[in-house]
Amino acid sequence: MNRDRLLLLGYGAGILAGTLVHDPVWLAAGLALVLAAAGREAWRLLRRALLAILAFNAVISLSYGLMAWWQDSSPWETLLRLNLRVLLLTSLSFLFIARANLFRALDFSRSLTYVLALAYSQALTFRRAHDDFRLALASRSLRRPGLMDRYRASAAAASWFLEKALHAASQSAQALRSRGFFHD
Amino acid sequence: MHIPDGFISPQTYLPAYAAAAGLWALAAHRVKRRLDADTLPFLAAYTALSFVLMMVALPLPGGTTAHAAGIGLLAVCFGGWMAFLAVSLVLAMQALLFGDGGITALPINALAMGLAGSFAALATWKLLGRLHEAVALFLAGWLSIVLPAVLVATVLGLQPAIAHDPGGAPLFFPFGLNVTLPAVVLPHLLVGIGEGVLTLLGWRYLTRLRARLAA
Repeated sequence: MNRDRLLLLGYGAGILAGTLVHDPVWLAAGLALVLAAAGREAWRLLRRALLAILAFNAVISLSYGLMAWWQDSSPWETLLRLNLRVLLLTSLSFLFIARANLFRALDFSRSLTYVLALAYSQALTFRRAHDDFRLALASRSLRRPGLMDRYRASAAAASWFLEKALHAASQSAQALRSRGFFHD
Repeated sequence: MHIPDGFISPQTYLPAYAAAAGLWALAAHRVKRRLDADTLPFLAAYTALSFVLMMVALPLPGGTTAHAAGIGLLAVCFGGWMAFLAVSLVLAMQALLFGDGGITALPINALAMGLAGSFAALATWKLLGRLHEAVALFLAGWLSIVLPAVLVATVLGLQPAIAHDPGGAPLFFPFGLNVTLPAVVLPHLLVGIGEGVLTLLGWRYLTRLRARLAA
């Protein structure tokens, strides 16, 4: 078994453990362990995880705090456990993404690796193009674009992506056929 | 419906993974019959397309935006199983490569959005498509968003009943169905309108584009 597949299994076991443990002390210990494993990247990892969960957890925590206050009960243990768990699991996910090569971890299936690699590379290209479209609209507008302008921009972007996806699929199919991918 | 890790109990996500794994195997088997030099790149391309459609903002009056998912469009154009696989791959990519959305929420989102959303859209299209194409496509897109929203809200709202400590305090997502159903479903009734329009316009555009490419 290769190193990346072991990391994937370890990551799965870590996620399971993080959802089976409910004591905030153990959840905090788990978070400390993940940060220790991140080494010099610990602060960057923690910052990234905090930013990723901030909006969702802030809304949930504030709403739950208000509800508990209304019902005259203490929300602190529940909120501490919830936020520590989410932070632990998110940090663990980011550490896994930084350390493991998912394509190598899944290389037991040729078709799965192929589809994932192709979809990922195209998704990266599309994401860059999406950012370019967004910046293009902003740079060509003196004022904040109106609703209709934004509809037109979204429609133009969506049609570009549809066309590009069809062309990319046709090109990949031709490339596969010419290299005998399905006859090896 | 991007739920971070830590809000779904293992009593929920472990059976969901078991069910999703069986359905992924079945979907792969169904698609594999057609899996050749043409369909494999198309699956990858539509996965990337679904990924980017989830990034395209649908402007709403008042300056806010909602995000389409392209599930209805994928389902009516390429079938339910292909759409299920593409949406599942997008969710896996988002969770494991881009760090967006939780790995514990993946099977629930895959079953709700990929399976229920795709097949609801496909069934609507097949049932109503002969009566009125535009209405059928719009409803297919609308339902592909609203039904998964109802399912995800139900799963979230059941968490306090499924996993709580001896004192009754929730261990995972803390709100019940009385909060999750209106909070999740109501905004998606509006998002569904955008998805319905995207499905209708996307279908017409793809039909024209395919005719142009074939010519």
